[in-house]
Amino acid sequence: MIFIREYMIKLDRVTKVYPVGTQDFTALHEVSLEIEQGAFMSFMGPSGSGKTTLLNLIGGLDKATSGDIYFKGVKLGDMSRDELANLRRKEIGFIFQSYNLLQVYSVYENILFPLLLNKEKEPAVRDKVMNMIHQVGLGPETDKKPAELSGGQCQRVAIARALIKGPSLILADEPTANLDAENSYNILELMRKLNEDFNAAFVFSTHDEKVSRFVNREIRLEDGRISSDKIKTPQGRPV
Amino acid sequence: MIFNIALKNFYRQGARAALNVLVTALIIIAVIFNLSLLNGFQAQGTRNMVRTNIAGGHYVAPGFDILTPTEWENLTLKVPDKLHAIQHSDKAEVLVQQGQIYPNRRLFPVQLRGIEKEQTLLDLPLQSLDAYPASVKDVIPVVLGAKMAKKSHLQKGDTVVLKWRDKFGAVDAMDMLVVEVATLVNPRIDEGVVWLRLDHLRQLTQRPGEVTWVAVRDHLGPVAGMEFQTLEMLMQDLLALLKHDRRNARILWVILMFLAGISIFNNQILILFKRQREIGTLMAFGMTSSLIVGMFTLEGSFAAISAVILAACLGVPFFAWFQSVGLDVSHLSESSIPVKDKIFLDIQPVETLVTVLVIIVVMIAVAWIPSRRISRMDPTLALRGRGIT
Repeated sequence: MIFIREYMIKLDRVTKVYPVGTQDFTALHEVSLEIEQGAFMSFMGPSGSGKTTLLNLIGGLDKATSGDIYFKGVKLGDMSRDELANLRRKEIGFIFQSYNLLQVYSVYENILFPLLLNKEKEPAVRDKVMNMIHQVGLGPETDKKPAELSGGQCQRVAIARALIKGPSLILADEPTANLDAENSYNILELMRKLNEDFNAAFVFSTHDEKVSRFVNREIRLEDGRISSDKIKTPQGRPV
Repeated sequence: MIFNIALKNFYRQGARAALNVLVTALIIIAVIFNLSLLNGFQAQGTRNMVRTNIAGGHYVAPGFDILTPTEWENLTLKVPDKLHAIQHSDKAEVLVQQGQIYPNRRLFPVQLRGIEKEQTLLDLPLQSLDAYPASVKDVIPVVLGAKMAKKSHLQKGDTVVLKWRDKFGAVDAMDMLVVEVATLVNPRIDEGVVWLRLDHLRQLTQRPGEVTWVAVRDHLGPVAGMEFQTLEMLMQDLLALLKHDRRNARILWVILMFLAGISIFNNQILILFKRQREIGTLMAFGMTSSLIVGMFTLEGSFAAISAVILAACLGVPFFAWFQSVGLDVSHLSESSIPVKDKIFLDIQPVETLVTVLVIIVVMIAVAWIPSRRISRMDPTLALRGRGIT
């Protein structure tokens, strides 16, 4: 039997250069890689190694200076701003280090928001939102505002918000950076479970070694170049 | 969808949005108040002029000019039959001559204005003259306006020498008796004017059947020997003054609109600056730039619409209260503006509607202009709070 691996994302010799004052700063040097459907992987590396730039390029938030990025076979470089926005709306969920929850909305409304963007009507999706709230363990906090939640709870809302629309890719930028160790492990375990339940690919950018214990692929970046790309067995929370 | 989101965002902005709405509402009230007060002032001034002096216009002896008293004596003529035949409710015959009085041994030049006592066209409190016989005997009964009485130091019951010239140039003099000091709402028929009965003035100046002008309710077409001066011609100076006031009001209107616009614009810039990460997040969620611009513009528009609603809630009771007390303009009694002690608002529905619509359009525009920056914003910079620098 022959297995053909389906790549969801493919980067081909991607370079990103930022103008810094009068000089150029190369954040990524000819990076090539593939990410398969349902991956649970991380980009590791110190600050300035190009992790977040890579995440932004994959998410269509930024455009590569040279090289090509393909999402399910479609070249992102050929897409307009609005087409990229539509792609993100349907296919990609984002989780941010500082959660980026909409402060005027309740937990319920924050999670509902991506569905409204996809033109779904509120009464019809209420159960779906409530299910997601329970799946991330936030039942009693449904009507609370982000300001009333702890960091861990905020990140759970962010995860639920990213997953609610059923994306094929979740991009998480330093998701555990603002959390203590216990909360970090709880969140990583939750994401691992949701990765299995929803079959959505999770791609982290992080310098938190705790994340490394949960992912099954780890790409290390140094000065905008891939220094290692390892397939590994997740260890999970330390005993 | 963005309507609901923008609405939620707007009313959850709290004190900042409320303050913005309040300022805009107060500006709307101030603009409408200012325009309506000017309308009230203009309407009352015009009404008082028409009611007490001009009516529907004057048939005047050709060449007569109220500002050239030295020519008054020569510019009188017999009332044409066409005008004389009109009933007293539709015309008032007036004879104007020069004279001098000598209160406290000072010479005081006056305008002698004789008006037929039967007329009911003009609203003049001259009934006290009716009790006197048609022929002047020992004294000439006259009525003075309150301002004239004050200036000449005369009061009811006083007698003072009045000197005049008759048609043939003979100077004559006689005591005049102030039978009444009347409150006249129009300073132009008060200061320097001595009111007499027309038959008395005709007798004194030997001008039987003659007039200087005939005020009429309506224009009756050409009348031989007389020229018709329209309401606009007779009120030319007042209308020029009011036009000037209206221009000033418009300048104030523009200044207030500018302030309101700046307030919303500034608030919108501040909102964009403070909510850059939110904008970046919305972009990451897949909202298109145009949708985000629309959402922020809608939020600004809600401020304008809320301001109109608040302006109605605050303005209606305020205007109702104001109509019950009026604005004291007694300080204007020293000027020649024909207004009473108080003026009231004259709210013109069309003008108010246009004002409100212009304010809404301006507010939406100033909410939209800064929001356009979003379409040029780099989502990655916005997420880091550096989309606008």
